[in-house]
Amino acid sequence: MTPMTPETPVIEIDTLVRRFGRADAVDGLTLRVEPGRCYGFFGRNGAGKTTTIKCLLNLLRPTSGTVKVFGLDPARREVAVKSRVAYVPDSVAFYPWMTVRDTLDYFASFRQRWNQQTERALLDQFRLDVGQKTSHLSKGQRTQLALVTAICAEPELLVLDEPTSGLDPIVRREFIQTIIGAYQEGSPGQRTVFVSTHLIAEFEGLIDQFTIIERGRGVLTLDADAARDRYQKIYARFSEDPGALDLTGTRVLRHQGREIEVVVNGNAADVMARLQARSPETLTAESLTLEEIFVATLQPGGVAV
Amino acid sequence: MRFQLNFKSGKPVYLQVVDQVKSAAASGAVRAGESLPSIRPLAEELRVNRNTVAKAYAELESQGVIETVAGKGCFVRATSSPFKKTVRVERLTQGIDDAVTQAHHLMVGKTDFLRLAEERFDAFDHQRARAEKG
Repeated sequence: MTPMTPETPVIEIDTLVRRFGRADAVDGLTLRVEPGRCYGFFGRNGAGKTTTIKCLLNLLRPTSGTVKVFGLDPARREVAVKSRVAYVPDSVAFYPWMTVRDTLDYFASFRQRWNQQTERALLDQFRLDVGQKTSHLSKGQRTQLALVTAICAEPELLVLDEPTSGLDPIVRREFIQTIIGAYQEGSPGQRTVFVSTHLIAEFEGLIDQFTIIERGRGVLTLDADAARDRYQKIYARFSEDPGALDLTGTRVLRHQGREIEVVVNGNAADVMARLQARSPETLTAESLTLEEIFVATLQPGGVAV
Repeated sequence: MRFQLNFKSGKPVYLQVVDQVKSAAASGAVRAGESLPSIRPLAEELRVNRNTVAKAYAELESQGVIETVAGKGCFVRATSSPFKKTVRVERLTQGIDDAVTQAHHLMVGKTDFLRLAEERFDAFDHQRARAEKG
């Protein structure tokens, strides 16, 4: 095992390109994930999220560019990398003839570490029957089992690919609580999560940094708090139709009669001051959520930059 | 104590936790010697990153609002500040400046502002006195 200095990013992707035939699934993506962070990888279906993740795990070779995990090339140092990573894919397949118990033992046999206490706690929490054949598990239960196999190995990096799509709300909640609780508790500050999803709202509180990917390219990378500070929705209502207003540098959502609503990107104070000068009855600003920022960024026309 | 997070407030999430603990301590909703929830259950309950709660608690500790007793948890301290008076006044000035700015934009004049400040002071004193009586 190569010792990791605190400066070594857990994930480092540099101008990654992955082509399928003539189509570029990933087209020059660059990002880095520092240790201990919970990193969101947001994109629509087909944006290149899963292809990127497969390159991280050496399930696909990059066409060009580099991918490093813990500072290592996952293609050359596959065992060194994989022994420190766990992966929960979007659709989970287990050997159908195995029971839950067999499956856990099978996964544990590949691992240097296996936390029995965590295993018991999670089986209990998810009410999984260890004698059940995996072919008889529901989609939610299969995802829960995959999460147990991932977390018990106490990996330094947990990679989640659309983990909660297709699950019911209760299973989703438990899933996220398990990541916050059982996973992050183990070695605070050193447990890194890389989660790809388009169900952004439920990960809002968990994400501390994110990249939005579209057509294989990173279009926005920000700290979550910084993003919520930059992207704001400003609403003003005037006592009568204000006529022409200077709204440069904003994206107008609504401008109707006495009311106006705009989205700003980093220039909230300036726009507020301009509107204030016209003496509105009401003037408010609120941050966009990460999901709203995602939508605003990918909408035709985009947000004012 | 109860927390209420709002992702639309524009305030960093960890600062919301910090401010709510400070406000609860000022109003007597939590009293000196009482414990705060530990990091993991609070993070799970609020569905936020564990690091966010850890950062908030570290900040509260550095400001002298709480203290961590190894193996026991986090406790609210009796009102005292590790900072010199000049530093404390400086910090308070920032908060007052924000409020004065707000007052200007909301067209609340100086007299009304000062009256409101007095009312809020009394309200907190009152709440704290009631909390102490139990």
